[in-house]
Amino acid sequence: MALVTGAARGLGHAIALRLAQDGFRVAVNDICDDGRLTALAGRTGGIAVPADISEGTAAARIVRQTSGMLGPVRVLVANAAVMSMGPFLEQEPGKWWRPIDVNLSGHFRLIQAVLPGMRGLGEGRIVIIASGWGVVGHRNATAYAASKAGLIALTKGMGRELGPQGIVTNAVAPSYIDTEQLQVDADDLGISLNDVRQRYRELIPTHQLATPGQIAATVAFLAGPGSAGVIGQVLQPGGGVTRTRA
Amino acid sequence: MTAARPVAVITGAASGIGAACADHFRRSAWQTAGIDLHLSDTDLPLTADVANRAAATAAVSEVAARFGRIDLLVSAAGYYEEGIDVAEISVQQWDRMLAVILGGTVNAAAAVLPHMVSRGQGTIVAISSELALAGSATDLHYVAAKGAVLGFAKSLAVELAQTSIRVNVVAPGPTDTPLLAPGSPWRTPGYLATLPLGRLVRPQEIAAAVYFLATEGELYCGEVLSPNAGAVI
Repeated sequence: MALVTGAARGLGHAIALRLAQDGFRVAVNDICDDGRLTALAGRTGGIAVPADISEGTAAARIVRQTSGMLGPVRVLVANAAVMSMGPFLEQEPGKWWRPIDVNLSGHFRLIQAVLPGMRGLGEGRIVIIASGWGVVGHRNATAYAASKAGLIALTKGMGRELGPQGIVTNAVAPSYIDTEQLQVDADDLGISLNDVRQRYRELIPTHQLATPGQIAATVAFLAGPGSAGVIGQVLQPGGGVTRTRA
Repeated sequence: MTAARPVAVITGAASGIGAACADHFRRSAWQTAGIDLHLSDTDLPLTADVANRAAATAAVSEVAARFGRIDLLVSAAGYYEEGIDVAEISVQQWDRMLAVILGGTVNAAAAVLPHMVSRGQGTIVAISSELALAGSATDLHYVAAKGAVLGFAKSLAVELAQTSIRVNVVAPGPTDTPLLAPGSPWRTPGYLATLPLGRLVRPQEIAAAVYFLATEGELYCGEVLSPNAGAVI
C-alpha cells in the first residue's frame, strides 16, 4: 500500500495514478477534499485522507485511517508542498516559515508516523519529492529552497539510518514541471503563465518542461523492486538545468 | 531492414554488469548486441577491443547492418586492478586503464552516434563507479578513468540536449560481480556492515537502473544514477 501526499492535482495526482497502475493500492492525501481526492482514491484502490500535514495530530490520524483500511504503509511519497515566492527581506516571518512547516516539518512527522508500520513489515520505501531549487537555490524562493534542501538532507540521513532496517529512502528533485503551480512563478515575475513556461524552456538544456507523468516514472522506479540498491540518492529528472546554472 | 524490437549495444557484455544488462534487456524483449574481448550471451555477440577506435567502429557497423537500428549503448567495458598504491601504478597500467574505460566509452559513443542521429533518438548510458564520486584509497587509475567518463558523459549530454538523444551515467557501488575477487576487501563482513544496504548491490539492480534510463529517462540529461548500497550519499 502506498500513501501519496499532495495528491489532489499536479504531480501528486500523476504519482498516485502511476503507482496504482504499477499495482499499488494508493491512499491519497491533500489539505482538503473538494471531491477530487475521493474521486482519485476510487481510481487508485485506496482511500482519501485529507489533512493539513503541518497540523500536530494529522500524521497520526492519517496513518491510523490508512492502516485501518488498507494495512501498513509500505511506500510513502512525500510530495505535498507549499510554494511561495518573494524577496527575502520583504517576507513576513510567519509566511516565510509556512513552506518549511508543511514541506519539511509536516513530512518529518508523517515519516515518523509510518515508520512503525514499515518496521513491522520489515521493509519500506520513502520517496521524497524535493526540488532542483533545493539543490541550487533560486532568487525569491528562500523558504521553499530551504524546505527542499532540508528534505534532501533528511533523505540522506534517513538513507543511512534506515537502510539497515530495510527501509530505502531517496529523493527526486525535479526542476520545471508543467503544472498549475507555475502560476506562482509567473506572479513573482509579473508575467503570464505562457511566458514563464517559455522562459523556463529556454533555461533548460533539453528545452522541455517536464510533465507530471514523466516525473511519476522516476517515483515508480524508486518505489519498485529494481531500485533496492539506490539509497540516500537525489535523482534529478530536470533536463540538465541544475548543472548549467540557470 | 529495420528490426521491429529496440536494439541495445552493450560493451563489456560477456560478464558482470554488461552481462546482467544483456540479460535484462533480452528478457524485456529487446534485441542485444555484445562487444567484448570475449563472446557474450547476446543476440549478436561480437569480439573487439573497444580501446581501438577502428575495431569499435567496425563492430558497431556490424550491429547496424544486422538490425538497422541502435536504440541504446551501454558502455560497461572495463576492468579493475585491485589494491595498487598510487606510487606503484605503471605508465602502462595508467594508459591501458584510460584507453579501455574512457577510450572505450568515447569510441563506442562516436560509433553509435551517427546511427542515433539519423534515427533522431537514442540513449547512451556509461557505467562509471561510486569510487569516482567519492575517491578511493587505492587504484587511482581506475578511479580517474571512471571519473573522466563522468565529465565526458555530462558534456556530451549537453551537446546533444536539444536532440532526443540522452546521455547519462550509472555509477554502481560495490556490486557482486567477478570484478570483486573472492578474497576482496569489499566482500568482508566488516565492510558489508558499513553499507546501509548491508550487502553488495546485485548486477541485476544495476541493469534495472540502466533499463529505467533507457526506457523512461527522457528527462535525465547528463545525470548520475548511483545504486551504491548507500556507500556514497
